[in-house]
Parts: sequence; C-alpha cells; structure tokens
Amino acid sequence: MKHEPKPRYAEGTDGGVLQSAERYLAQIEGGYRGLLEAAPDAMVVVSQTGDIVLLNLQAERRFGYSRDELLGQKVTNIIPEGFAERLIADETRSAAEAFTQQIGTGIELIGRQRDGSTFPIELMLSPLDSAEGILVMAAIRDISVRKAAEQHLAQMEGRYRGLLEAAPDAMVVVNQKGDIVLLNLQAEKQFGYRRDELLGQKVTNIIPDGFAERLLADALRSAEDALAQQIGTGIELTARRKDGTEFPIELMLSPLDSAGGILVTAAIRDITVRKNAEKDLARKVEELSRSNEELGQFAYIASHDLQEPLRMVASYTQLLSRRYTGKLDADADEFIAFAVDGANRMQRLIQDLLTYSRVGTRVNNLRDTSSEEALQRALHNLQGAIADSGAIVTHDLLPMVMADETQLIQLFQNLVGNAIKYQKPGVPKIHISATESGPNWLFSVQDNGLGIEPKYFERIFGMFQRLHKRDEFDGTGIGLAICKKIVERHGGTISVESEPGQGSRFRFDLAASA
Amino acid sequence: MPVEVLLVDDSPGDVRLTQEAFAEANRAIHLHVTSDGIEAMAFLRRTGPYANAPRPDLILLDLNLPRMDGREVLAEIKGDPALKTIPTIILTTSEFEGDIVKSYQLQANCYLSKPVQLDAFESLVKSINDFWLTIARLPQK
Repeated sequence: MKHEPKPRYAEGTDGGVLQSAERYLAQIEGGYRGLLEAAPDAMVVVSQTGDIVLLNLQAERRFGYSRDELLGQKVTNIIPEGFAERLIADETRSAAEAFTQQIGTGIELIGRQRDGSTFPIELMLSPLDSAEGILVMAAIRDISVRKAAEQHLAQMEGRYRGLLEAAPDAMVVVNQKGDIVLLNLQAEKQFGYRRDELLGQKVTNIIPDGFAERLLADALRSAEDALAQQIGTGIELTARRKDGTEFPIELMLSPLDSAGGILVTAAIRDITVRKNAEKDLARKVEELSRSNEELGQFAYIASHDLQEPLRMVASYTQLLSRRYTGKLDADADEFIAFAVDGANRMQRLIQDLLTYSRVGTRVNNLRDTSSEEALQRALHNLQGAIADSGAIVTHDLLPMVMADETQLIQLFQNLVGNAIKYQKPGVPKIHISATESGPNWLFSVQDNGLGIEPKYFERIFGMFQRLHKRDEFDGTGIGLAICKKIVERHGGTISVESEPGQGSRFRFDLAASA
Repeated sequence: MPVEVLLVDDSPGDVRLTQEAFAEANRAIHLHVTSDGIEAMAFLRRTGPYANAPRPDLILLDLNLPRMDGREVLAEIKGDPALKTIPTIILTTSEFEGDIVKSYQLQANCYLSKPVQLDAFESLVKSINDFWLTIARLPQK
C-alpha cells in the first residue's frame, strides 16, 4: 500500500547528506550535544539514508571507534543488519511509514565493534526534526548482561518446566510473597484453573490456609528460617478448587534459587483417597475392636452365667454321690459317678474359659514386675501337685520384666503345671531360666517329661487341643491357649521345642523392665 | 440359746445347699430364709407376716435379688440404727471388683464369693460358723 509522503519530509530524501549533517551538526552542537553526552547509552543520530550524522562518547567507546571514523559512515558499520533497512522506504512503504513503524519500540539487534566482535543491543528510536528532514536518534543499549540472564532464565524455565510437567503431583512455584510464578498441567487440572488464571495470583487462592503464612518472616524468624522450617516436611492442608470445593492435600516444599530470590517449589498431592482410606481403616479398626470386645464380654458373661446352674448340678450330684453311693444299686452308682465326673469337667472347662477371656479383657496393665516373684507365687499355687509328683523344680534368678503380674503367675503356673502333669515314670525335673535377648528376656521352662512330636508343635497352642486320651491325662485343652494369649498380649511369642521321650522346652519372651 | 441367721437368697438350690452346709456345721443354728430384699426388710423390721420374727445374729446377703437388690438392702440395714449392729455378710457369685468395693463402702462386714466346688462351699460355711458365730463376740440383743 502506497501513501503520499507528507511535504515536510519530502525535502530530505537523498543527496548532500554530509553537508546537511555538518550543517545540522553545527546547528545543534550547542543545543543537543550536552544532552547526548549526558545519556547513559551509546547514542547515534542517523539520516534516512543510513548515514551516521552524530554520536556521543559512549558510542565511540562501545564500538571502539573514534568519532571521526564514524561520522558520515554508514550505520551498517556498527549495526550490520536490521537497522538501516528499516529506515529505508521500499516498494511497500514510504520512508515516513518505515520510520514510524520503528519509533519507540525496543528492537533487539547485533552491534559490531571495530575489532569485528559482536554483542547484543537494544535500540530505542526517536525522530529528530531537521532542515534536511527527519533524522533518527538511536539509543543503543548493550544488553549482553540481560541477554545472558534471559538465556539463563529460559534455560531454567525449560529445565524446570520439563521437571514440573514430568512430576505426578500438582506443582506450584511460589515466591516469598506468596505469588504463584510457575505451575504445571497437573496443577491446572487439580484446581480447575487455566494457567493464566493462576500465574501471578496469590497462592492463597488455591491453598487458603497454612501455606503462605509459613513462608513469611515474622518477628520470631527471618525469611530463611521461615522457609527452612518448612522444607521437606509433609504438611497436610486443605486446598480449594476454582468451583469452591475443597480437598485434602499433602505439601512437600523445596527451595529453588533464582535471580529474584529464593522460590519455593510446592509439590501438592491430593490425598482424598488416602484420607478416605484412613477414615475407613479407623472405622473398621474401631468396629473390629468393638466386636472383639463384645465377643470377649460375651465369652466372659456366658461362661460366668453358665457357671451358676452348673454349680447346682455339680453340687447336687456330689451330694447324691456322697449320701447315696452304695445305698441304691450298681447302675445308680455308675450313673451318679458319670454325672459327677461330667459336671466336674465342665466346671474346669468353664474356669479355663473364664481365665482365657479374662486375659483378653484385662489389657495394658503392664508394669515393672519381678518374674522371680511371679514364679514363686506360681510354685506356691502348685505346691500340692509338686509334692504329689515329687517333682524337682529348679530355676535361675529371674529378671524384672514389663508384665501383668497376675497373668505372668498364670503363665508360669500353666507351663510348670503341664511339665509336672505330662510325665513318664520317674522323677520330674523342671528348670526355669531366662537369658537376655536384645530388649527382651527369653524365658525357658524345660522338663524331662513325655515330650511332644514336632507335628503338634503349632497345634498344642490352639483352643481345645489335646494330645492325650482323657483316661491318660485329663484336661480342657485350654491351658496352652491361655499361655499363648498371655504372651501375645504382652507383645511376645511362645514356642516349644521337644523330642518325644526326652522332654520339652517351652520358650517365651517378655520385654525387659524399662 | 439358738443362733438366728437370716439368709437372703432367691436361688432355692443355693438356699438348700446353705441349709445342708449349716446343718453339717452347727445343728443349733436357726436358718431363716427370705428370697428378695423387700421380704428381708420386712423380716428385719418385723412387719406383715414377719411380726414375730426373731432379730438375727447374722445376715447372709446375696447381691442380685429381685425387686430390691442386696446393695439396697445393705444400705438400709447400715442406715438403720436399730439394725446396723447386725453383722452382714455378702455371700454372692459375683467376683466383680466393683461389687466388692461397693459392698465395703456400704459397711458390709465381710464379702464372700460362693465357691464353685461343693467341698469348698461347705468349708466356707463352716468358716462362717467358726468365726462369726463362735469366735467373734457379737452385741447383746
């Protein structure tokens, strides 16, 4: 598109540039010179034909020429490309248009020094009226430093953008004022904003509480301290989407050095699923412990209440037996004997069940307990059985442990009681000892009794598990289940090693006294 | 002079067992029985059908009773200046620690759990007889 040039500009098209310049120079020496030299940038005044008509000291220095060497020379000597062309009218535009297109804009070009080395420049153009027409004053700024910085920044951006986008979490980079300076696609998705809706905005838009405050210095700490306190810790907060809905998040912060100071990279993980799972788990645990407790209560109450009518049956069959044995006939005697025996066994069973369920209902009563004293009490309770069997019970000095004393007595009583009971002919020998094993004491109850086949090692600790016929050894099959429950309630384990005919060794561990 | 004992228990089986055990221990004992708390208080205060009831030397009181339970009966006895000097023994199947504490707080003279085994029950009754009705000095009526 062609325009008629305005008459004012028409005069200065071509010819006699140098003379004009000299005239102009002389004319403005006094007026503009001072202004030019005061400018911090290199300043060059160029005619529309691309000739340098005026320059300042900074321009001489920056390009390595003396004034004489540049005056009247083509500006392409110092700015090889992109400047002169722009000043010249061509088929598509007038000189005036060409010029006006350039005015005021910062044009980035390459400057060339006398020694041929180049450096990045930014040009700011402004018009200067003269008798010969419009001249162009170019302020030439060396932007080497800025360019290097920009390049660095672009590199950083490129590098971090890749990193940010590769991250599975929403990532937001925030400055210490709490402004969002960078974010990734996951962050856009998670919060329901477009990138440009968040960039430059306060991070409180998406994390209302607990994040921005933490970045700020206050009377008690410097900005560095404030930041250092947060780095690396998983902070659980609430985030808000564009639509106002909220969701739980976990923040991981890390510092990022930048030209503008320390930035904070925040990895934001949506922990809705985890939170729900946690809630779910907590509810299930609560349900389970409640139903467990109910079951324990039920077992206790049931066995306790069963005991009442059973006490009647047992007492009266015993009375029958005592008063009428030998007074009726042989059948009656036998029937009564079976009834008495059945009632007695059921009483032992219920006693053991009660003991078993009590181990469950009495928990967390662990305190410093002398296992030595507990064993003595157990042996005292067993003194009848020990005397009857002629057993020799020996033991090492036993340590202080963390235990419920009543249960520890029960444990020793059951294990030593078993050792006395399951014997072959001869003198039962039982030895109790304890060795230190890390933070625990490993107890051993060893006997020279019948022993147990390895295939039963696990089974004997189950409920109602018996290895002998009733007429060989009577029992409820609950004793070792009680032992197992007691040891496990104390956080330990119980096991047996044995060789049939050689005896058994039961081992269990308990935490040492604190 | 016969010894008067009031047994408050709603289980006929237990009542009979106790009678048998006392019969074994001491033939001179008159064992009176009421089967709930209200009857027990009527007996002690000689009201209604118990107008001619003797003042007992000893009370054996179960805790779980119909209408008015053993804890209430105990509180009434120990709150009544005319009755509070009668030794009152809790004889129950409960081994609940709370019941034991509560009973002593209410000034029970002694708390006994009914043993499961007949032999043990008989020897318990014998102990009651030996201590409370033989060794211990009780106030004059």
